[in-house]
Amino acid sequence: MANATATYSRGRSTYAALRLSVLQFLADPQWLVPSMIAPVIFALVSFELFRGAGPYFLTYAILGAGMMSMWGQTLYGSGWATGQDREFGTLEPTIQAPTPYLYIVLGRVLWNVVSGLIGGAIVYVVIVAFAGGPPAVPDPAAFALLFVFVMVTLAAVGIVFAAFYVYTRYAGFIQNIGEFAFYIGTGCMFPVVLLPFYTNPVSLIFPPTWALDALRFNAIPGYQGFGWGFWGDLAGAVATTAVYLGVAGAIFHRVERHVLEEGNLSEY
Amino acid sequence: MALATSLRTPYRPSFWRTFWTNAVMAPRTSLGFMRVDFVLGTVFVVPLTQMAFFVLVVRLAGGGASEIEFAAVGNAVATVTYSSVFSVCQTTDSEKEQGTMEHLLVSPTNRLALYFGRGLIPILISLATVAVGLTYAALLFGVKIPAGAIPALAVSVVLTAFAMVGFGLLLGGVALYLRTSIILGNIFLFVGLLLSGVNFPLSSLPLPLQWVGDALPLTWGLAAIRAALAGNSLGALGALWAAVAIAAIASFALAIGLWEYFERRALATGSIARF
Repeated sequence: MANATATYSRGRSTYAALRLSVLQFLADPQWLVPSMIAPVIFALVSFELFRGAGPYFLTYAILGAGMMSMWGQTLYGSGWATGQDREFGTLEPTIQAPTPYLYIVLGRVLWNVVSGLIGGAIVYVVIVAFAGGPPAVPDPAAFALLFVFVMVTLAAVGIVFAAFYVYTRYAGFIQNIGEFAFYIGTGCMFPVVLLPFYTNPVSLIFPPTWALDALRFNAIPGYQGFGWGFWGDLAGAVATTAVYLGVAGAIFHRVERHVLEEGNLSEY
Repeated sequence: MALATSLRTPYRPSFWRTFWTNAVMAPRTSLGFMRVDFVLGTVFVVPLTQMAFFVLVVRLAGGGASEIEFAAVGNAVATVTYSSVFSVCQTTDSEKEQGTMEHLLVSPTNRLALYFGRGLIPILISLATVAVGLTYAALLFGVKIPAGAIPALAVSVVLTAFAMVGFGLLLGGVALYLRTSIILGNIFLFVGLLLSGVNFPLSSLPLPLQWVGDALPLTWGLAAIRAALAGNSLGALGALWAAVAIAAIASFALAIGLWEYFERRALATGSIARF
C-alpha cells in the first residue's frame, strides 16, 4: 500500500513537472530561441553551404539542425530549470519533498524531448520547403525510430547535466560558452571522424555521438563514420546511455542525501 | 539660504561624470553577461568554437581553402555580436527586472553620456573578441593577415565594434516596448550568420534577403574587414568605412530617439510598468 502511494506520488510529481515545463515554455518566448529559431537559422546556413554537394547533404543539414534543437533544449532546459528553482527559492523545498528530485527532473526532461522533436519537425519543414522536396532517406521508418533514440540519448545527458547543475551556479556559463563545443564534440553537423583523432575519446563519452553516427549510417549511403559501423554505434549508444542513466540515478541520490545531511545547498 | 538655493537648482552631473559612471557601473548592473568568466569565455572560447564548427561544415561540404578562409574570417567577426548586441540590448531587461527603470527615467542625467558610457566596455570587449578571433583565424585556419593590412584592419574593426554596440543599444530601445529583449537579441545574434555574409557571400541569397542583410551593421563591418584583409585601396575601403560609420551613427541616433520617445510616453502616461 505504501509502495503504491509512493509510486502514484512520483508519477504525479513527474506529470506536474512536465505540465509546469509546458506552461513555462508557452509563457516565456525565450524558449523559441534554442528550440526553434537558432536551429532553423543553422539549418538554412548549412543548407546554403551544402548546396550542390550531393543529395544526401540535405539529410546532414536536417539532422544537424534537428540535433542542435534538441541539444539546445537539453542544455538550456535542464540548466535553466535548476537556476530558476534557485532564483525562486524552490530548490530547497523541492529537494526536501518526499518525491525524489530525479522524478521532477524527469518531467522537465520529457518536455525537453518533446519540444526538441517539435523543433526538429520545424527544421525539417523549413529545409524541405527551401530544397523543394524531402531528403532521400533509404529507410524512413528506421530513420524515425533512430531519431527518437537519439532523443533518448540526449535526455540521458540532460538528466546528468541537471544533477550536476544542482551543485553549480555556472549552468549559464556552460550553456552559453559551451554551446558550439557541444555541437562540435558530438558531431551534430558533421561526422566526428572529421575531428582530430585525439579528440574522439572525448566525443565518445557522450551517448548522442554514438546514436547520431548510427543514424547517419542508416540514412546516408556510403557514410564514412566510426570504423565499427552501424551496429557498433548502436551498441555503444545503448551502453553509454545506460551508464548515463545509472550515473544520473547515483548522482541524484548522492546530491539529495548530501545536501539534506549538510544543509548547505544554498552554498552552491 | 544655502539649502534653499540647492533645492531650487537641481543637481546635474556633468557629461563626463555620467559617461564614466555608466561605463564603470553598467557591466556590474545592467549589461547582460558581464561576469569575468563570461567575458573571458566570450573573448577566448566562443570565437574558436564557432569558427571551428563552421569551418568543419564548409570542409564537409567540399569547400576549398578560400571558402574555409571566408568562413573563418566571417565567424571571427560575427562573434562580436555576443558582447555588443546581445549583451547591450539586455540593459532594458535588467533595468526593468531590478526596478531601476523608473528612477532612470525621472533622473536629470544626460542621456547621450549615459548611452555612450554604457557602450564603452562592450566596445572594448568587442575589439578584443574580434582581435582574438582574427588571431585564431590566422593561426589555425590559414587566414593571411599581411602586416601592411593591419592599420586598415584596425580601423575597420574599431568602426565595426562601434556600429555593433550602437545596434545593440538600438535593439535595447526597441526592447523597451517588449516584455523581454532576449528574443530580439538572440534573433540578431543568429540572423547575422545567415544574412550578413558570414559563411557565404551575401549575393548567393535571394534579393529581398540581401536587402535585409544590407540593413545590418555587421554586413558592412564584415565587408570592410574582408576588404582590409584583401589589401583593397583606400578609396574602396573609404566607401565601406563610411557605410559602417553611417550604420554606427544611425544606430546610436535611432537608439537615443527611441529612448527619448519612450521616456516622453512613459512620463506622460505613467505606464512604464505595463511593458
